[in-house]
Amino acid sequence: MNAAQQRRDPAQWASVALALLVHLALAAFLFFGVRWQSEPPAAVQVSLVSQPAITPAPPPKPAAPKPAPAPEPKPAPKLEPKPEPKPAPPPPPKAPDIKVPEKKPEPKPEPKPVPKPAPKPAPKPEPKPQKKPAPTPPDRAKAIESSRMDELLAMDAQRAREAALLRQEANAAARNRTMAAYKAKIQGKVKANIVLPLSASGNPEAVFEVTQATGGVVLNVRLVKSTGDPALDDAIKRAIQKSDPLPEPDDPALFNRILILTFRPLEP
Amino acid sequence: MPITQDLSILSLIAEASLLVKLVMALLAVVSFMSWYWIFRKWFSIGRARRKSLAFERSFWSGGDLNQLFESASHDRHNTGPMERIFESGYREFTKLRAKNADHGTIVNGARRAMRATYQREVDELEAHLAFLASVGSVSPYVGLFGTVWGIMNAFRGLSNVSSATLAHVAPGIAEALVATAIGLFAAIPAVVAYNRFAHDIDRLSIRLESFMEEFSNILHRQLR
Repeated sequence: MNAAQQRRDPAQWASVALALLVHLALAAFLFFGVRWQSEPPAAVQVSLVSQPAITPAPPPKPAAPKPAPAPEPKPAPKLEPKPEPKPAPPPPPKAPDIKVPEKKPEPKPEPKPVPKPAPKPAPKPEPKPQKKPAPTPPDRAKAIESSRMDELLAMDAQRAREAALLRQEANAAARNRTMAAYKAKIQGKVKANIVLPLSASGNPEAVFEVTQATGGVVLNVRLVKSTGDPALDDAIKRAIQKSDPLPEPDDPALFNRILILTFRPLEP
Repeated sequence: MPITQDLSILSLIAEASLLVKLVMALLAVVSFMSWYWIFRKWFSIGRARRKSLAFERSFWSGGDLNQLFESASHDRHNTGPMERIFESGYREFTKLRAKNADHGTIVNGARRAMRATYQREVDELEAHLAFLASVGSVSPYVGLFGTVWGIMNAFRGLSNVSSATLAHVAPGIAEALVATAIGLFAAIPAVVAYNRFAHDIDRLSIRLESFMEEFSNILHRQLR
């Protein structure tokens, strides 16, 4: 027996090495194999969410051609002037008049500075670069160049409006995103509850108006646009009622008593 | 709303509950041991078969029995089971013949000695095959136990959520199923190897037995 055991010693270490090799190969296969499967769906989800944020973003950029190099730094300085434009709410009514031409007659402010240096070279250039409303009141008191003043004010107001617009758009985009997520949550829950009728086929779309009370209690469900298949419409309606209580939004401010929801029950 | 679960194998194992982890660790150890024995048995059975074939060839090529016995007893570390059976039988035969025992006793004694060696050899070849058999039959159940436990936990966690979706249970079930996967990974090769080795050992032992019969006939003839 001793002889037999001695005889097998080399095979013993080879076996340990081979067994290790097999397990390492399996571990590597599992590690990489399973990883590949899990990543693609994650990437798809990210792109879906980012889409609504991108579409509203482009409009502000063409609207503000002047600060082309720095669209981002603008909002920051604007935070301070914001209270200042408020004392001059009178311009806003005028502003529409100016605003409309301002988009095209951009050169307008530029020709003016040229005549400027002639009458008053010293004081004017300073407020110009800063464009702060603070120095403007004294200017107005002087009341020498009221038209230029108005223009300056209008420009300030315009810029403040643009900044506010930018912020609003950003807020709106964020709200849209949470709103979309909220709706997706409801749609997901309803979809899980839909019992598809046998007649269902294709990828029809139905729009429902859902009235809910606080806490997501479904009060009323009204068909706005039918799928064309009454059985399917009924199935969706039942599913909505069965989904009571509806999921709540992440941001409670988004809660809305009346929701317009679109359903594509057959969408894979 | 998108639930981006990282389903890589590492996170699946890391997030499993303690008992499931223990089951997985046990199965990993068992799988390693079964693979170790698979390779060792593979080498030792293959070696035994090769040596036996080589000895059989040289035996039937009509060599001198004394010469064969010399080489077999000289190089004991490097012999196959058939050679060892021959050696023990021939040793007993020469001893009994020196004592002038009658023919029946001599052949029977040599045969008994060969049978004893044969049984030892077969026992050694079959050693640890039972381990492979139990791994093959038990480890799927152990893995299943881990899975059932993991799924129980997954569903218990589901009871705390008001709106139950598949996304809440799926990761837990995926974690739990890893245990079954490991159990099957340990079991399948063990079963295949067990069947293969059992078959190989059967064939080899039949070959050894027929050699014993033939060799005792030769010894019987030598006495005349």
